[in-house]
Amino acid sequence: MDRPIFHFALAALVALLLPFFIRSGTLATEVLVFAIAAAGCNLLLGYTGLLSFGQGIFFGLGSYTLGLALIHTTLPLLPTLVLAMIVGSVVAIVIGALSIRRQGVYFVMLTLAFAQLFYFLAYTFSDITGGDNGLIGIPRRGIGPLALNSSWSYYGFVAVIFLISFAALQRIATSTFGRTLLAIRYNGERAQAIGFPVRAFKIAAFAVSGAVTGLAGALHALLIGIAPLSDIDYHMSESLLVMTIIGGTGNLFGSVLGAAFYLIVSDTLSAIWPRWLLLLGALLIVLALFIQKGIWGLIESGVGIVRGRRGGPDAMAPGVSGSERP
Amino acid sequence: MIYLFQLMNGIGLGMLYFLLAVGLSVIFGLLHFVNFAHGAFYLLGAYLCYALLQYGVGFWGALVLAAIIVAAIAAVVETGLLKRIYRLDHMYHIVATIGLALMIQEIVIIVWGPVGSSVPAPKALTGAIMLGHFIYPEYRLFVIGFTAVLAAILWWVLEGTRLGAVVRAGSESTDMVSLLGYDINRINTAVFALGAGLAGLAGALAAPIRGVDPFMGVEALAVAFVVVVIGGMGSYTGALIAGLLVGIVQSLMTTLWPAGASLAIYIAMVLVVLVMPRGLLGRA
Amino acid sequence: MKGALLSTDGLGVRYGSFTALSEVSLSIGANTIHSVIGPNGAGKTTLFHALTGRVRPSAGRIDFNGHDITALTDDRRVRRGLARSFQVTSLFHRLSVRENLRLAAQGRTPWQALKMWQPAERNQDATAIADSILERLELTRVAGRSAEELSHGQQRRLEVGMAMASRPLLILLDEPTSGMGIDDIATMKRLIADLGRDHTVLFIEHNMGIVMDISDRVTVMQSGRKLVEGAPGEIRDNPEVRRAYLGSMMTGGRA
Repeated sequence: MDRPIFHFALAALVALLLPFFIRSGTLATEVLVFAIAAAGCNLLLGYTGLLSFGQGIFFGLGSYTLGLALIHTTLPLLPTLVLAMIVGSVVAIVIGALSIRRQGVYFVMLTLAFAQLFYFLAYTFSDITGGDNGLIGIPRRGIGPLALNSSWSYYGFVAVIFLISFAALQRIATSTFGRTLLAIRYNGERAQAIGFPVRAFKIAAFAVSGAVTGLAGALHALLIGIAPLSDIDYHMSESLLVMTIIGGTGNLFGSVLGAAFYLIVSDTLSAIWPRWLLLLGALLIVLALFIQKGIWGLIESGVGIVRGRRGGPDAMAPGVSGSERP
Repeated sequence: MIYLFQLMNGIGLGMLYFLLAVGLSVIFGLLHFVNFAHGAFYLLGAYLCYALLQYGVGFWGALVLAAIIVAAIAAVVETGLLKRIYRLDHMYHIVATIGLALMIQEIVIIVWGPVGSSVPAPKALTGAIMLGHFIYPEYRLFVIGFTAVLAAILWWVLEGTRLGAVVRAGSESTDMVSLLGYDINRINTAVFALGAGLAGLAGALAAPIRGVDPFMGVEALAVAFVVVVIGGMGSYTGALIAGLLVGIVQSLMTTLWPAGASLAIYIAMVLVVLVMPRGLLGRA
Repeated sequence: MKGALLSTDGLGVRYGSFTALSEVSLSIGANTIHSVIGPNGAGKTTLFHALTGRVRPSAGRIDFNGHDITALTDDRRVRRGLARSFQVTSLFHRLSVRENLRLAAQGRTPWQALKMWQPAERNQDATAIADSILERLELTRVAGRSAEELSHGQQRRLEVGMAMASRPLLILLDEPTSGMGIDDIATMKRLIADLGRDHTVLFIEHNMGIVMDISDRVTVMQSGRKLVEGAPGEIRDNPEVRRAYLGSMMTGGRA
């Protein structure tokens, strides 16, 4: 069950089945949008070992880029999305390059401080971003003859982008590049000693992650018609990390599960009890104590028990054996 | 004159940032544990001070009690929860303490409501005094004086006492502490409680200045990180200098460019990181 | 010296006010096995770090294969043909043995690993090198296992293999027999002697048996300086060396 094609089939299944389980087209679209962003976060956290608290920056910049482009220019939709990816990627390269000068928790603190810097930039320059009110009135342009004005037609559009992004990230994760990132995550000192310029590879990982996250942010702004300040704040970075970790790090489909779980549960609970974050907090503590591999880890051990643990290391992905352990 | 006024404000603010950051720094130094619930302890300290004042406890009592209650809660959390996850990767430290911070924040909202509130300064300190040509609120002067005394005591605790020596030895190697015959578990708990208590005290002191609201914790956490990034982790002097720097920059900017006051401290951080990646006084 | 692959001139390393290494001039002939010995704290590891590029020297220069490499970072030195092993085994524990070696082989041309579209398995050059090293190390049988599942002796051999995989001119080994049992030590000794046939080898070692048996030249370090250098026989009989080691260790066996 570690073959990439199997995971892609699962992702396609999720995109296909969501409309049957979720009545709100907006919520269903949000699941896929955040799944893209969480997978981008996972590339850094699960594959490179970089816990970036700055993912909200790339997400928010994606939102603003798309909003500004659609409001102030006549660019068609697809080039706008590409533009959001470029902006996300370029900023990610700069922030990545600055942050990886420190390691471990210092790195985490730096990325969080950068997240605050960009939040206050967006808040302060409200002429451009709309500040607290967000950038409002973003038109949802169609693509050629395809109008995207109903929530389910937009869902279809996002689903296609989601699957393309997922496949691309899978390809990257299993490439020589992805394997090198994994090596850096497991043992950066050794990776450097066998000749890899570790910093350059970390920055490259940031570039990919920034592009993917920027794309997700753009799709989010297009979904709700505004680029809200909350797309770039501390809580966005935090939520993206939480989704990634809940789903299970080091596994791209885990991020899809994490995003779906987080959004559906928060949607359900917040309707019942406004203080549901208390439960989320408790869940995170339980996760750290008992479910360190996340939902995907739970599924894997569940399958392992059912199969009676017949599959040895040979059943694992080629080259990668053993499962994640903290 | 306005600059002098803002400079004074900045020093007061900076000393509060120092208290926050030094708590974070001490916990990290000994436990190699980054505490994302640090802002939540600050939040809790502020609200406890607010509540105790409402129950008619005097200001001094509220201040001391708030800090002690926060420290006690932190000690319980450390023994019951955090001790179990020290050996894990720091990702799990962050997940668990984010969870803890969320829980504290939501409990605060459940108990005291989602809307913020102002907190009166103690009666004896509500006045203002003339400093040369300008009037300055007594409470803010008190905060500067009080935190300066506290900073001196902390300096003495960390540099001059056995506990300080053990903490410093522990940040080099925990085996060393065990060799010296100390129970590392109890030291860990004590240090965690001390750090959290300092955050709580900072919150309690800040309450009459800025009021209380449920989201002040996140803000404080980010500022504490900035101070630690600028000052260098594990450095008392670094935390003091960086705390003051951040406080003063923020206050002066309130006059020069009010909208960009918060932005300015993050820009200051980026500048320091560009020039000195380890911070002003960071160790290798 | 003529024919030297690696030479240092007045090499020094200071940590703050502490001088860890001073005035070390070495010359390692091509296709020789050269060992560095000395009591703990003699500066062997610092010398090693300076040669691999881990530590920037505060004085002197390092020439390798006709180029000044003093200012090069460690990863760039690998591309020039200089590879190392670690004293404390440092592998990609959760990756398979073959993948460990494939990555190490890839490290010689690291920028090619930026290809995000090329599946790792289709990287045939590196895989071929990994397979040949697996054979030479007698690890083919366990190639599919993760590195953490290997025995200590196997891990130590893989550790050396990681250095071989970048097809280096010079292999630096940091205490290759560290923590090994007697049987494994014999295997490692054969392996190092075998490496000497097609590589230049420089290694730090405490086990005098190995040092004396397979080295062409031996450098003795003390207090951050080079004490003496010579053929194993000369070193064994040198009174200064005997004094530095307080006699007992020179008879061979484990330190």
